[in-house]
Amino acid sequence: MQNSWHPKLGNRVFRPHRLKRFRLRRVLGIPALFSAGFGDVGSSIYYALGVVALVALGATPVALVLAGIIFIFNSLTYAEGGAMVPEAGGSATFARYGSNDLGGFMSGWALILSYIATIAISAYTIPPYLGYFWPALKDPVVGTAFSMGVIIVLMLINIIGIKQSTRLNLLFIIFVIITQLVLVILGAMLILVPNPQNLVQHIFGAGNWPSTASLIYGISIASLCFTGVETIAQLAEETRQPEKRIPRAYILLTIAVFSLFIGISVVALAAMTPQALGDPVNGWARDPVAGVAAHLPSPVLRAIFAPLVAVAAAGILFGATNAGVLGSSRLVFNLATQRQFPEVLSGIHRRFRTPYIAIVAFSLLAIVILIPGFFVTRFFADLGALYVFGSLLSFALAHASILSLRVKRPDAPRPFKLGWNITYKRHQLPLTAILGFLTTTIVWFTVIVTKPFSSGLAGFAWMIGGFIIYYFYRHRAHLPLTQAPSEKESFKL
Amino acid sequence: MEYRNILVPVAGTEADDEAMKLACWLAKKDRGKIWTVYVITIKRALPLEAEIDSEMHKAEEILDHIERVAEEEEYEVDTDVLQAREAGPAIIDEAVERKVDLILIGIKQKKRFGQFSLGNVAPYVLKNAPCPVLLLQVK
Repeated sequence: MQNSWHPKLGNRVFRPHRLKRFRLRRVLGIPALFSAGFGDVGSSIYYALGVVALVALGATPVALVLAGIIFIFNSLTYAEGGAMVPEAGGSATFARYGSNDLGGFMSGWALILSYIATIAISAYTIPPYLGYFWPALKDPVVGTAFSMGVIIVLMLINIIGIKQSTRLNLLFIIFVIITQLVLVILGAMLILVPNPQNLVQHIFGAGNWPSTASLIYGISIASLCFTGVETIAQLAEETRQPEKRIPRAYILLTIAVFSLFIGISVVALAAMTPQALGDPVNGWARDPVAGVAAHLPSPVLRAIFAPLVAVAAAGILFGATNAGVLGSSRLVFNLATQRQFPEVLSGIHRRFRTPYIAIVAFSLLAIVILIPGFFVTRFFADLGALYVFGSLLSFALAHASILSLRVKRPDAPRPFKLGWNITYKRHQLPLTAILGFLTTTIVWFTVIVTKPFSSGLAGFAWMIGGFIIYYFYRHRAHLPLTQAPSEKESFKL
Repeated sequence: MEYRNILVPVAGTEADDEAMKLACWLAKKDRGKIWTVYVITIKRALPLEAEIDSEMHKAEEILDHIERVAEEEEYEVDTDVLQAREAGPAIIDEAVERKVDLILIGIKQKKRFGQFSLGNVAPYVLKNAPCPVLLLQVK
């Protein structure tokens, strides 16, 4: 392309190839998406199993199966939504398109609450597992202080913006999955098969089967095991062919999580009573998977698996804490970009080019909600209830958004369209989204009624506070509260 | 060897000018096309599509400058801004998409802990490039 042209002085050169500000380089494949999703969802079993056993007692596997079915509904909804709307906001974006800016904001704000609770609960669970190496960490005061230190370290790491290796993350997730799988297989062979009557006794024995109310509450708490499904949707903009990769990553995640969680819960109940599994003081409620390893019959196997579980648990929980920090800051930036939230929290650090204000704000909030950990041992269940409040609300809104989009934009491209549709007034509504909406809403109400203070009061106070911020921000910006994306606004495929 | 499509990633260093001059010289022989890209790296705490005005201005300045260097060599280049988590994979991705024959990177000699260092991007590109890579070191 020879060219001897010289521009005249003062001439402005028009460069159409840079009209578009930039092009994104999307490099994440299915393994990276899966490892990110599993890193979030897969960490839940390391704390949630004990909390579920505390409430559901011997019916813990039943509660997990039923909560797992709700998880499948959620995954399918996110698969359709993520493939259809591959943007960073996840369910907040689904809600914005499905309803309007207010709906998108409320969904995003609920998600932020769940991210803050994720940061707190994941960090809080690290010390009991590391207590294998340093027993002092099992003390609630020392452990809580350690958890706060973990959050501060991650806050600083993310302000600086230290690079993370996708390959290392994937290798670590493979290590965690193998550890869990081998533990399940060994547990089944060495604990369950030789003494199946123990499992039956621990499930149906006197005082082991819960009341109906406790079982229902147990199912709601068991949904704690399956949160984190948002993670893959939030990475949709970073993958090529999201219409194929997002659904496949969700299917892989569902299979892995469902089978491992059910397996671990059955083995755990075969190994110990539900009271031991759910006891936060003298039992294994705070490190249930370590409890499984500690009950392996062979001293050699215990010596091998106890430290492996400690390392796997601490690592994946550290990753889940980090995911909470990253998720909340990204989501706030996305909301601010869509003018659903004041830009002040999305300020970028001049040197490090990270959203440091959001990172600091949400990390400090997570530290604040950990303060009761110094005084109250059983606040762990309250923390879980707060987490569930935020995540279930956003899941319910995600289901509602998918249904709404089927009505409002029936002809929009849906690279992954859910089957099993019910026809209503000529609209095809996916049954899984309808069931998902109903079940997540019921479970959400159950948690609020059962934990009125830690979940209901705190959760609603958060949502009302968020609405007040939204209201005043939009009012000052002269924007309507319920502005919807225009019909011409297309999804970024 | 013929070089009909040359990719020149730039980073805003003095080495970019020399790399562009060399690219123009190589491309003139075969009437090739030169693509210049600047990669804005986005930290994981931000969405990938986050628009950071300061970074865009910096990218535009660097690409404007490199276009002037090419003009002085009487050659025209196409410029583009990419946004990615890391520069290395973005450059490789761009090279694959554009089916380039050569990646030409200018690097300024630097030391890390007293040892000579190529940085992070150049080794990644050298390892993963789908085509020949020319490293031009400027002291």
